[in-house]
Amino acid sequence: MIEVQNITQSYSRGKEILKDVSLTVREHEITALIGANGAGKSTLLSVMTNLVPAQSGQVLLHGQDIRKMKSSELAKQIAFLKQSQQLAIRITVNDLVEFGRFPHCGGRLGDEDKRKVAEALDYLNMGDMAGKYLDEISGGQRQRAFIAMILAQDTPYIFLDEPLNNLDIRYSVEMMKNVQRLVSELGKTVIVVLHDINFASAYADHIVAMQDGIIAKEGPPREVVTPQVLNPVFEHKFHIIDHDGKQVSLYYDHDEASSCKFCG
Amino acid sequence: MAENFAGAKPKQLWLKFLSFAGPGSASTQAAGSKKRSVTVFVVLAVLLVAAMALYLYSRTWAKMLPIINLGIPVSPDAFSNILARAIPHLVAMVASAVVLAVVSLSFQTITQSRVLTPSMIGFDSVFVGTQTALVFIFGASHVLFANPLVNFLVSAGVMIAISFFMFGFILRSSRNNIVFLLMFGLVLSGIISSGTRYLQIIMNQSEFFQVQAATSVNINNISADLVWYVLPIMAVVVALTLMRHRKFNVMSLGPQQAKGLGLAYEKELNINLVLIAVGMSVATALIGSLTFLGLLAVNAARELLKTYKHMPLFICSAMVAAFALVAGQGVMELIRGAIPVTAIINLVGCSYIFYLILKENRV
Repeated sequence: MIEVQNITQSYSRGKEILKDVSLTVREHEITALIGANGAGKSTLLSVMTNLVPAQSGQVLLHGQDIRKMKSSELAKQIAFLKQSQQLAIRITVNDLVEFGRFPHCGGRLGDEDKRKVAEALDYLNMGDMAGKYLDEISGGQRQRAFIAMILAQDTPYIFLDEPLNNLDIRYSVEMMKNVQRLVSELGKTVIVVLHDINFASAYADHIVAMQDGIIAKEGPPREVVTPQVLNPVFEHKFHIIDHDGKQVSLYYDHDEASSCKFCG
Repeated sequence: MAENFAGAKPKQLWLKFLSFAGPGSASTQAAGSKKRSVTVFVVLAVLLVAAMALYLYSRTWAKMLPIINLGIPVSPDAFSNILARAIPHLVAMVASAVVLAVVSLSFQTITQSRVLTPSMIGFDSVFVGTQTALVFIFGASHVLFANPLVNFLVSAGVMIAISFFMFGFILRSSRNNIVFLLMFGLVLSGIISSGTRYLQIIMNQSEFFQVQAATSVNINNISADLVWYVLPIMAVVVALTLMRHRKFNVMSLGPQQAKGLGLAYEKELNINLVLIAVGMSVATALIGSLTFLGLLAVNAARELLKTYKHMPLFICSAMVAAFALVAGQGVMELIRGAIPVTAIINLVGCSYIFYLILKENRV
């Protein structure tokens, strides 16, 4: 159970990135954070994972303030995948996934840890790639290796910051399907920052739309992926169509939109 | 088809051996790199022992050769005296080299850079500056400069104090921004160096030579007593750093990733900076400024082992550093001090940095 209570976060110059944000994360579901650049999605994610400690307000994990938790204990509950995974060192997929066991074993891998690593690799179909170096495999495979690491970390909560960055359509779909499996098969709770509204609409159970540091609207995709919500959030004119029960947004400047560019 | 496969296999193995990057299962690769690191360690151990033998030989037996000695025989008493002096010097070199290598690796890991060493943020210039200021203010015969133990305490103390100020003040005000720390250190070391040069120009010539002698790496002038006092401090620094080797592995993934994996990053950073400050200060105050030794050793170890794991890297870089210093000093003794040992190390170190920068640039 993660509860975000009245988080206000600002840079040193006084600009508020988050303004009194409160949110209760829905268990065993995918929650997608959407919003324009600078709306505070990544900052909210950093605060929720204590990567950046909350300045005002608090984040409660099972009723406990995460700032007061030991970082190794927190890492057994919350796994976090940051936006870019550029590593300064050259390691194999297996090495990377083994790092996921660090919160549990402090780097001293026992049989249990090795079993979890093998399971995570198998679960994401990476068993045959375990010995390859990360710079030898494709971007999509690398992203999958990082998901395997998080899986080996064995946490109930998983936070992903723009996991589809730099992935082509095929790998993006594969990634979201894997994330769905984590929720449906393993009962994880996933919070993911997404740029593509259609991916959020198709794969998330719950969408939180952020605008200028506040939550503009949250709810199931059907309620959030509507022109009424999205137009002000992205300051852009959206056209929503229904396709197989999913709402798909069209956001290029088609004729109706261009005639009404500034009607918001 | 089957023949094709059989034909391709040896080639693949050969490629894998060369590049260490070819396809293969984790287990065969692990076995390959294990075998390789065993070879590396054995060769290094042999080289290190040979270097130590060379050093002891050139300090003692070589001095008894008729050509050098003008045919005057050395009495057994004098011989054992020389040997008794040479052994603490050997210990001092090995210990300082180990400390420098170990703290350089930990510094590179926390700064996420392969081309930095702690000397670059001013330890050397603070050391030279302290010596110069002591001589300038108190004179070369004052106890603060002339007594090796007191001098060591003062210069190590000043270095530790300045680095603690830098780490504490700068990191706190810039929210653990390592780049800012590096810039500040670089500027500080520039200011201290030019101040030092100014003092050296206006001081009298004999004092200047005394400062030169005290700050250049001169193994034979190290006080034997001092070595035994300093050794425990060095041992503690090395032990505490090596103990954290698994944490260093995680830190090498970068601050965010390390935090995500439950490492108390800020705390670890502070502990390591303290260890680096103490280690660098003690080693520099004991032996003098060896800017490139750490850099050379750590990068040689990385190239030799091709691993990210810190335990083998720590041991390997310590061995390379000890070998470079002892062998260099042994050669220097043999040719009777025609070239200072730092000149050899700096020459090799500098060329190696050029090579690294060019190589990193290409990747």
